[in-house]
Amino acid sequence: MATLPSGVFAETYAVDRALIRTGKQWRALSIFLAFLLVGPFLFGSHFVGIANGMLITAVAAMGLQITLGYAGQINLGQAALMGMGAFATAFVAERGVPFLLAILTGGLAAAAFGVVFGLSAVRVKGFYLALTTIAAQFVFNFVIISLPTSWFGGSGGLRIPPIQVGSYRLIDETALYYFNFAVALVMFHGAIGIVRSRFGRAFIAVRDDDVVASMIGIDVAVAKSAAFLVGAFYAGIAGALWAYYIRYISVDQFTLFNSIWLIAIIIVGGSGSIVGALIGVVVIRGMQEVITFLGPQVMAVFPQLGGGIVFAGMNIFLGIVIAIFIIKEPKGLMYRWEVLKQRWRTWPFPY
Amino acid sequence: MSEFINAAVSGILIGLLYAMIAMGFVVIYRASKIFNFAQGELLVLAGFFIWSLARQVGLAVPISVMLGIVGVAVVGFVIERVFFSRLVGESPFSMVMVTLALLILIRGIILVAWGPDVRAFPAVFALKPIVIGDILISRALLYGGFISIACALGLSWFFGNTRLGLALTAVSEDHQVALSLGISVRKAMTIAWVMGSVLSAIASVVYLSGRSLNFLVSDIAFAALPVALLAGLESVGGLIPAGILVGLTQVLAQSYLNPLVGADIASVVPYLVILLVLFARPTGLFGWKRIERV
Repeated sequence: MATLPSGVFAETYAVDRALIRTGKQWRALSIFLAFLLVGPFLFGSHFVGIANGMLITAVAAMGLQITLGYAGQINLGQAALMGMGAFATAFVAERGVPFLLAILTGGLAAAAFGVVFGLSAVRVKGFYLALTTIAAQFVFNFVIISLPTSWFGGSGGLRIPPIQVGSYRLIDETALYYFNFAVALVMFHGAIGIVRSRFGRAFIAVRDDDVVASMIGIDVAVAKSAAFLVGAFYAGIAGALWAYYIRYISVDQFTLFNSIWLIAIIIVGGSGSIVGALIGVVVIRGMQEVITFLGPQVMAVFPQLGGGIVFAGMNIFLGIVIAIFIIKEPKGLMYRWEVLKQRWRTWPFPY
Repeated sequence: MSEFINAAVSGILIGLLYAMIAMGFVVIYRASKIFNFAQGELLVLAGFFIWSLARQVGLAVPISVMLGIVGVAVVGFVIERVFFSRLVGESPFSMVMVTLALLILIRGIILVAWGPDVRAFPAVFALKPIVIGDILISRALLYGGFISIACALGLSWFFGNTRLGLALTAVSEDHQVALSLGISVRKAMTIAWVMGSVLSAIASVVYLSGRSLNFLVSDIAFAALPVALLAGLESVGGLIPAGILVGLTQVLAQSYLNPLVGADIASVVPYLVILLVLFARPTGLFGWKRIERV
């Protein structure tokens, strides 16, 4: 628990509970949000595209942070859950359901799918759970490909209509940015609320030790299923946003590999912190962009490496990053940031 | 009837192949308490080693197989030294994540070194199937089946009856307890990884003999996962019945259920079975039950 800057005293419970405690924090947050809002005008459309990817990933990562970082339940199927949300959204959107309702449907469908695996978390732990969540990936592939083509498009994928408000069609990259930004902000606020609530505390207790948690009166089964429910709901919403953003979805956009990227985001950002998930998203997605940018140039110098170098480079980079962080910095970047903040606040008398 | 017998025989043999691949998982887990997701990648790496030695260097196939096995054993040793000797006593999550990191890292290295092209793997076992009446039996799978039964019996004797095997068993029960009993966890882990790598190389020879090889072959490890889970991660001997069960279910689903459903349900059947079994018995059929104390 970080100490507050000196001179900040809570005189009412409301103040004590507040997320933002000082005027400086308000100012920093406002400047940051204002920066994000005017961002599209400052940078080119290429960066808006990257930002869109980051916002959508951020929603999925926040969900995974709740399941994995707070409740400690390994979930290697987050990408499959995201895909479930995307396909459910596409399915209802094609049949003329308004977009907000369609996105919600995506979230709920993924949540329903996720709870099945949450229930298995009640029985199995650790390695076994990691393995059963991998099963989610296989079941997802099977369900999408083998159901009738008119439902989910089978292996050919599915096109979905753009978001339509009145006669205005939301297909512009910048417009989508604002839409994704708004949804991500709502989801962020929700995530902060959940982890500070009774449920969030229960998740943390279950993560630290589920036997002890059950002894202090927490219903472990409910807590674990709830953690999967919430995480899957976030994945579903992210999938829905992705479907509306890319407007063509297919099974191979949601692979085990993507789930591992999401977990890498949590590890790099720091597990057990919603803001950490966001930091992870920015760092990892940023590095991905750098590799995509550098790949063709490396290829120009060493043509014998061939066109697969970007994908291969991504793999090598991701593998090394995860290994280094687990061995050297298992608490992630957020922990470093907290340490720095603490040092700054207690300087020059750190006792 | 002959269709059924054919399906049953090939199911049993495929199941034994799965058991062979799953043995890599189980041996590493059984001796170090690490679940190695990168097993499939080790298998592909072994395949590429052997392919390179036989086709690019031009060595005889048996010699390249030997050298390939040694090569992968060295890789396993290096992996343990670089990553896991630093992680003794860490949480299961860290271990799982490092093996996942290895999975993608090795895949990336394979892609850089050999590229994504499909190669023809040399036929280590004769391609001509054995014919008994109406029944066709693939030689590679048959010999592989014998190898996998022999390995399972040998390893389960090793873990249960030798001094070293029991020491490894202690390590997989609890790193700290093993350390306090004077067992070197690092040494145990090294042995585990070398054994696991060698097993994956043997599985690679059995599986790839006369087939095509590229980096996607590693998916077979995910097909073999349910076998490891069904047996329970601690039981080497249990792999054989579990493998046969999964192989039979899959092949029978393929020939009788697929036409009914009109889709490839056989590929998910093992996972559905394992989900149901894990609900009833969370540690698989032959796994250890752990008593939790606080």
